[in-house]
Amino acid sequence: MQDLCTMVHLCYCLFLVLSPLIELKDSQIIFCTDVVSAMLIRATGQNLRLAYLRSLESLDLVKQIEVSEFLFSGDIAALIYLCNPFTIVACVGLSTSPIENMAVILCLYGACSRLIPLAAFGWVIATHLSLYPAILIIPVIFLLGCGPDSPPRKLFLQRHQQKEVLNQSKLPPRFSWGPVIHFAFWAFLWSVYVLVLCGISLKQFGGLWEMFKSTYGFILTVEDLSPNIGVLWYFFAEVFEFFRNFFLIVFHVNILFMILPLAIRLRHRPCYLAFVYVAICSMLKSYPSVGDSALYLGLLGWFVNELADMQFSLFLFCGYVGVSLLSPVMHNLWIWRGTGNANFYFATAMVYACLQIVLVVEGVSAMLNHDRKLRNLITGKPQDAKS
Amino acid sequence: MAETKEKSLSDEKPKPRVRPIVRLGIFLISHSFHVSVVCCTAGVLALFLLPVLAKNTYISENALMPGSASPMLSNQHVSDGNRLVKDLTNPNSKSSETGIESHKIIAQYMLDLGAEVSFHKFHPQMNQFHPLHFFSSPDSGKIQENYSCSSYGINTVGIIRAPHGDGKEAIVLVTPYNALKSGFGEALSLGIAYSVFSLLTQVTWLAKDIIWLVADSQYGEYAAVAAWLREYQTPKFSSLSTPNAEMCPDVNNLFELKGHSISGSKFSNSFRRAGTMASALVLKVRDQNEQFEDTISIYAEASNGQMPNLDLINVVNYLAVHRQGLRVNVEKLWSLLNSSWLKSLGEIFESLAKVAKSLYPKWKFGIPATEYVEGTATLASSLYYQALGVPTGPHGAFRDYQVDAITLEISPKFSLDKVWRNDILLRGGRLIEGVIRSVNNLLEKFHQSFFLYLLTSPSKFVSVGVYMIAFALLIAPLPMVAASLYVDANSSSNCSKGDSSTPSAITDTDEHSIAIRSWRWLNSAKLVFIVHLWGAIVSLLPYFISQIPDCSPTTSFMIWVLLSILSLLTLNSVLASPLACAKATQEKEWALVKSVTISSVFIGLGLMSVINFATAEIGALLMVPMCLLAQPLKLDVRAGTLRSFCRMICNLVLGHIAFPPAAFFLLKGMLDGFGNANVGDFWMWVESLWAWNSATYLFIGMVQLPCWVLCISILFHTC
Repeated sequence: MQDLCTMVHLCYCLFLVLSPLIELKDSQIIFCTDVVSAMLIRATGQNLRLAYLRSLESLDLVKQIEVSEFLFSGDIAALIYLCNPFTIVACVGLSTSPIENMAVILCLYGACSRLIPLAAFGWVIATHLSLYPAILIIPVIFLLGCGPDSPPRKLFLQRHQQKEVLNQSKLPPRFSWGPVIHFAFWAFLWSVYVLVLCGISLKQFGGLWEMFKSTYGFILTVEDLSPNIGVLWYFFAEVFEFFRNFFLIVFHVNILFMILPLAIRLRHRPCYLAFVYVAICSMLKSYPSVGDSALYLGLLGWFVNELADMQFSLFLFCGYVGVSLLSPVMHNLWIWRGTGNANFYFATAMVYACLQIVLVVEGVSAMLNHDRKLRNLITGKPQDAKS
Repeated sequence: MAETKEKSLSDEKPKPRVRPIVRLGIFLISHSFHVSVVCCTAGVLALFLLPVLAKNTYISENALMPGSASPMLSNQHVSDGNRLVKDLTNPNSKSSETGIESHKIIAQYMLDLGAEVSFHKFHPQMNQFHPLHFFSSPDSGKIQENYSCSSYGINTVGIIRAPHGDGKEAIVLVTPYNALKSGFGEALSLGIAYSVFSLLTQVTWLAKDIIWLVADSQYGEYAAVAAWLREYQTPKFSSLSTPNAEMCPDVNNLFELKGHSISGSKFSNSFRRAGTMASALVLKVRDQNEQFEDTISIYAEASNGQMPNLDLINVVNYLAVHRQGLRVNVEKLWSLLNSSWLKSLGEIFESLAKVAKSLYPKWKFGIPATEYVEGTATLASSLYYQALGVPTGPHGAFRDYQVDAITLEISPKFSLDKVWRNDILLRGGRLIEGVIRSVNNLLEKFHQSFFLYLLTSPSKFVSVGVYMIAFALLIAPLPMVAASLYVDANSSSNCSKGDSSTPSAITDTDEHSIAIRSWRWLNSAKLVFIVHLWGAIVSLLPYFISQIPDCSPTTSFMIWVLLSILSLLTLNSVLASPLACAKATQEKEWALVKSVTISSVFIGLGLMSVINFATAEIGALLMVPMCLLAQPLKLDVRAGTLRSFCRMICNLVLGHIAFPPAAFFLLKGMLDGFGNANVGDFWMWVESLWAWNSATYLFIGMVQLPCWVLCISILFHTC
């Protein structure tokens, strides 16, 4: 259903101008978007790796952490994105989620390589297509303000206090408002542009307000209850009508609640913050699809070096494999064979949601542990570390 | 260990209390050996307890009301039926070579009753390779090019429209009939169906249309019914260029004859339909019988172990036993009936129940030993036929379209006098009438009662909630052992790291320190993935082998084995890159491989238990011990203790038994004797599996075989 929504959007803005909608299903556009996304992921991953190495260098930790053993996270992330069965399924099924994914990746790529107009364009289009990427504005602001992922700024200060020489050039830059304002300007420009285009093409269909109602409204009110891999369809099929509005607010505020604490805790790692946001959105959005999981699993590849100590990796892997095999079977049992019922399928959806939660929780704690480890390397036992 | 030290240093406070659930998990993982022994024994024991735990069936759907109305089938209808039997067994009707005459007789009889009649012509479909077919909905069938006019079948279909119905629902009555060499039994089954049919044209209570399908069984009963159903549910519009059955002169001939011999308002050339099918009954009468009383056998297993709703069986059972005085049978494994160990097991259970009852009078769970043995034999056959995934009769075709259907086979005590024949016609007819009347009462589809169950006798069943316990106990050790192996392998390597270097530093001695720590299992996962990929290839190979013309089963099987070995070697050399070999020297590598193997087996078994429970149960009985026991033989030899020696013997035995062909021959030998075992038999068996699109075939190819290969590779691991 998200597809439908995106299709409507695409119809409204881009493809009405560029190419007729019908061609989307026939042509290779979706395949191409996947390839382009993978290339962008690779480029961003290389950026991140370089930034990480640079920060290690300025912390003088290069010797203790075998830099030569560092994996090329960009390549790995791109490979994960391309070889992921979820991506393949979404591509073969001609879902439009690869296009949404590309918009998100475009935004992050632009922010990482400081192409501010591109970042603004990606953010506007991603928001326009599926609304949820709107919260990516926070990591993008951090990215533009302080540069890509690095250990906490506190560490650099401590390091240089030990050495008692405060070398300003080795410190990460302070938060600068210039690029952010630049970004805001471009974002404003692009959204005006998109809205004007939509307004022109929608003149005979009831204007912009009608578009907002039937796209964002459709996403926010969870009108379509046909089964998907999320949990909301089941919940809203069961809930009493007079509680519906209340729970709609609860579920959507749920995402908003997580934004602030995560932003505070992970502000020094904006790309990782973006990954966490994307994962949370794909868990709590109203019409999730496997294409969303493909996106955040691909982004996970960027942090291969940092997440080397992640726990439960085998468990998570087996869980993903098991759920992605079991849920079509359950669906078959319920819809086709008629021997099962909705609970069978919903059970797999719940397991899937739990797996995503475990992934996010473990990922965040592994990242924090990594930071802690770096801190220990600097402060805890410096002489040991050097030996 | 290094990490924990770091943590304690950085936190500088006492470790937080571990949550009880985590502590329970840690306890289970650390005692995984005892837990797995207990769980597996309990699982096998629970399987043997199932006949004791079986519940009596009950009719769950209120609307059915079986036997509430007195049967209306009278002697008048019986004599009508008798007339048809006489006409069909009359030697004159068999004069025609294609058996068209008898079809015409049947059609004439139907028309005389005022039913709509049409013929359905079909070509028998060849066996095709479609192992994934169980997952998709049935298609309209491929249009084959090599249709010839020489091989086609004719189904005769009669439809009664319900006077009170809206024509949206229908009940199907099927009688297989081979016009060329029909026995007396088939004619009798037609007679019974006809007498019921003639009654149903007159009754006023009918709310659903009645379809009587006389299925031409010269190409097999299933093929005829399946062809008719395919046409009924998914009509195909073939282009004119493909040769069609209508073009054959013989068939046209049939219609011409019809045209002037029958007053043709109700007869039509086109395919006739009624509403959606509420349920279907297949009626057969067996020719020879050695039983002393009239019995009726129920066959219910459809493809992939799907069963019709239990209520349908209940209704038939209730009406047959309590109204018509027929003995009801379900299939048994006869060889189990005389086994002494089963009898003694039953006696043990019986005496245990007695003891329990003497302790507390309300505990009444025991059943007599003979009943236990019979229940076990029925349960075993129920499991066997479900696991095979091959339908036990024409009713299987209906289940593919979510229609509940069973086959009723009446085996009368044999005598030839007319009174006896009338009696069988009357009782059989009344049974069918009662069942149809009950189904006619239904407002919705069958949905109240169970779809997932095993029968231990016609009136006793084990529901999914009970038999799943046995299965869950059997596979419960798998994740635990996998977790404990994984933790062991990781902690041992961590220990070695901790010893060799200082705790906080991330080690210069250890090469792969950062890249692989918690991701070490990826290497083993790659191996497991390769082997499963190989399993997929092996499962696809028969498609190509079956294209080779004039190949005997034995040679086909040999080619299959050779190609499989070849592909395994190729895959191994191509995909298992030298990089992996360099890393494979890690200690405890086998433990990680075993851990990932067990995880994959767990996923595979869990998946299969949803698709086809019986296959998963039998597979689990074979694979779980093998997976759990597998350990490099070298280690066992080196240890040299009694325990390791026992384990080695068990490993070797299980390694032989769990190989799918070996398991097949062993099972076949136990059932039929080892005398006439042939290598080609396995090929034939496998061929039948994929031709019936059984999921068991995929299970063997993609779960059991890879698991066996991985276990063997663990056994011969050089560590």
